[in-house]
Amino acid sequence: MEDYKFLFKVVLIGNAGVGKTCLVRRFTQGLFPPGQGATIGVDFMIKTVEIDGEKIKLQIWDTAGQERFRSITQSYYRSAHALILVYDISSQPTFDCLPDWLREIEQYASCKVLRVLVGNKTDREDRELPTHVGEEFAHRHNMYFIETSAKEADNVEKLFIEIAKELTQLVRSGHFDKDSKVGDLSPQDVSNVTLPPTREPRSEFACCSRWISSSTT
Amino acid sequence: MSCCGCCSAFRPRYKRLVDNIFPANPEDGLVKSNMDKLMWYAMTSPDKLDRIGDYLAHRLYRDINRRKTGYVIISMDALDQLLVSCHANNLNLFVESFLQMVQKLLESTEPKLQLRATQSFEKFANIREDTPSYHRRYDFLVSKFSSMCYASEDEEVMRKQLRTAGIKGLQGVVRKTDWDNLGENIWLPTHMEKIVPSLLYNMQGNKAYVHGTTQISDTQDNHQNEGEKEPHELAEMCLRELVSRATYGKIHNVIKPLLIHLDYEGLWVNNSFAVQVFKIVMYSIQAQYSITVIELLMAHLNEKSSEPAQIRTGIADVLSKVIPIAAGECIGPSVIEIINSLLEHIRSSVVGGVSGKESSAEKMYQETLIHALGEYANHLPDYQKIDSMVFILNKVPGSDRVDDGGSQRPEAEVKLQHLLLKSLLKVGTKYTTVQYSTTFAQSFLVRLMRLSVSSDAEVRLTVQQILHTLIDRHQNIEKLAKPTLEVSRLGLTMSKPVRQDVNFWKKSGNEIMLSLQENCEFSNNRLVNIEAIYATLMLLMAEIRSDDVMVDILRVLFHVQGVAQNGTVSGPQGVQLQALVASVMVVISHLVPTLKDHVAAVIKKRSDEAPHLLPEIMASYESGLPCRDLPEDLLFDHSKVLDLLANTNLDEKRLNTSMASMMRRHSTTQHTSSATDINSISVEVDSACSSPGLPRRTLEEEITFESLKKVLTESPEQRRKAEEERRKQITEAFMTESFEALVAKIQAKFSVQ
Repeated sequence: MEDYKFLFKVVLIGNAGVGKTCLVRRFTQGLFPPGQGATIGVDFMIKTVEIDGEKIKLQIWDTAGQERFRSITQSYYRSAHALILVYDISSQPTFDCLPDWLREIEQYASCKVLRVLVGNKTDREDRELPTHVGEEFAHRHNMYFIETSAKEADNVEKLFIEIAKELTQLVRSGHFDKDSKVGDLSPQDVSNVTLPPTREPRSEFACCSRWISSSTT
Repeated sequence: MSCCGCCSAFRPRYKRLVDNIFPANPEDGLVKSNMDKLMWYAMTSPDKLDRIGDYLAHRLYRDINRRKTGYVIISMDALDQLLVSCHANNLNLFVESFLQMVQKLLESTEPKLQLRATQSFEKFANIREDTPSYHRRYDFLVSKFSSMCYASEDEEVMRKQLRTAGIKGLQGVVRKTDWDNLGENIWLPTHMEKIVPSLLYNMQGNKAYVHGTTQISDTQDNHQNEGEKEPHELAEMCLRELVSRATYGKIHNVIKPLLIHLDYEGLWVNNSFAVQVFKIVMYSIQAQYSITVIELLMAHLNEKSSEPAQIRTGIADVLSKVIPIAAGECIGPSVIEIINSLLEHIRSSVVGGVSGKESSAEKMYQETLIHALGEYANHLPDYQKIDSMVFILNKVPGSDRVDDGGSQRPEAEVKLQHLLLKSLLKVGTKYTTVQYSTTFAQSFLVRLMRLSVSSDAEVRLTVQQILHTLIDRHQNIEKLAKPTLEVSRLGLTMSKPVRQDVNFWKKSGNEIMLSLQENCEFSNNRLVNIEAIYATLMLLMAEIRSDDVMVDILRVLFHVQGVAQNGTVSGPQGVQLQALVASVMVVISHLVPTLKDHVAAVIKKRSDEAPHLLPEIMASYESGLPCRDLPEDLLFDHSKVLDLLANTNLDEKRLNTSMASMMRRHSTTQHTSSATDINSISVEVDSACSSPGLPRRTLEEEITFESLKKVLTESPEQRRKAEEERRKQITEAFMTESFEALVAKIQAKFSVQ
């Protein structure tokens, strides 16, 4: 029998060409496919990681960045436990779109979703966005922040492991009211969980420095 | 496997049976004889089914992790056979492990395994279970199958296979869950938002939809080769099935993602695909719900009010193309609701667009909306068309009050008036008149006539056109485009004289004639206006075969001739009126032979001395051509005609009754002829009493128990309001109703008391 303690759904979003697919490929398969074509619709990958000796299964949904696929990609936000919002540190426009993406998240995702901001492509020489800009943005919007390079495999593993850790902790602390235990065909849909009317102040979320300090650039 | 032999004796029997179905070499496939044994065992002891499933799943996980694809496939084969042969009652025990195995396969990156999993799931989906499965969840399956629908493998065959599998998988989920109502609700937005776009995505690329060549509504044809169906065909089938299963509360969840998909994919501007999709929806949906789709489409149009006009035109166009499909199902208030919201869209387009310069795209949008309205009306039963026309007319600005001509109306209102009248015309053309009394309900006619004397020439023209389409029962209108003297060439089809028509004329003829007479007097008439008046007069003559019509028209003609003669109307309009009179006179002389000589003489004289006073009527004339103060012999002689009519059964006295002008803006000045003789009043009394449009409430002067009670209970505030209301009504009545009607009302009141 397949044994895992928890199953989490992680959805990657962000403009086209910021490297969402490469992040996923790097993490799940250890590859960096050069000349990756644009994602069509939604791709799916699975990876099991171990946190404190317990198996955590991550369902990773990699969405297309192009706007024309928004009708399908939006539908995947709903059930996500964690949303990874990716931008390209060498491209100001991809950063400028972040507020739009946050609006999308507000509109379609569960309010309990774990939100992580990722500045990808740290290997690039032509950086346009200093780390602190991303950091401040993340802080302002109550998100975790990390800079990665899918090409150099920098911080990619860490990104997903941290998410798995954080989600495990959240589940244990009862954040997702009903827990996502094994045994179901698929874990409980977050959106199905009755949410409290007001957003509880999430103290553990307020801090985003823990990740930043350890990001190596 | 080497130790299998020695320890197998200690293993439970079901495990041994399961182990035995796997051959030493996976290439050999399922060991058939052992599979039979396993099946026999499963059937005879169904309580072991769950354990068998468990164990199979366990083996499958192991094989997947070890990448022994051959054994994985064998496990699935065994699973399929067990599923099919086991009685549905016991299946429930087994399904959990089955679905886990399917999921496990779908999670693999190996396309081959994903395809295999879908295949098994499809088989499973076609099994009807009797026991509801409360805890079964299809969340992952929907997500994964949808994702497969977007497969983008480089290799075409594999891409197609994956997409096909995705679609079939979704179809399976829909079937499975919709059958057992107690399981997962597939109609939740979270599922529909994935399923619907995935299906559309597979359909939209296909040329068949772009060119609109697919045959809508033949699904049963090629069922036999379902296996080879193209993804777009499969997707369409699946969409049809989905829509046909949708019940009232669920339609919204299906249509909403569909609309959003079309938005994001930008499929409204070149909308042939959108049209096709909505046709598919409309033909598949349970007929009683088709109207809901229309409502949703309208609501979507509402939401898009700030989008470029092209997009709105696209949506409106889809609306106009699918609305007829729903029209048959419309009953009662929903009809008016749809018309109302179409009119609302026209209104907001006018109001929004008027400030800046109106683009041609916006205009196109309005045209499309009107077209949609016409299409809709076209498919309504006739009695609802009348309701619709009344409703539209009530919405036309200016129909509820008298045109004050002089004051400047806001541009938007003018535009709206034009557009709504056009809409009314559109609906009118779809309506076939049988009885005038049904077509022209009093309230309808009153409002229409009010608009017919608008100071706006275009409005007047449209009203005449509406009259044409509603009066014309014998397709005469096309023959009447241009006034002519050659009556016999017209080839008009004349109606038979019937009592109902005569009665209608008695009741409403005066109203119509007044409007026509006044129509002639406008100085901003263009040629088209004159031609339209001609056509209306001719149609009345052809359709309502009553002597009174003839005399009434003669009366109007003499009035018009007078107006031109004394120069009230001058310039080209004056000439046009003279020619108009001539062309109608000729027709009358054909119908009333006694007038023939006189009319012929005048015509002859005119053609000799003043040919411009005869048709064909021009848009402009050389200045200086005489049209007023003409010599007697160029005119039709009133007294002569009177004499000639005396010998016929036509009521020549009618010719003398003058009509009070309806032109309100003249009402303050002196009436040209206010000498109403007794005769006319007595005629009109009848008309006024029988017309339901006239408010005949008795004033609250009498003292009854009710009125006393009112005095006591009503607050002064309320009373003041009521009184104000009444005052307004009276003022309005005096301002809008014809003099005769007022006289009649007062007489009626006196006769009551």
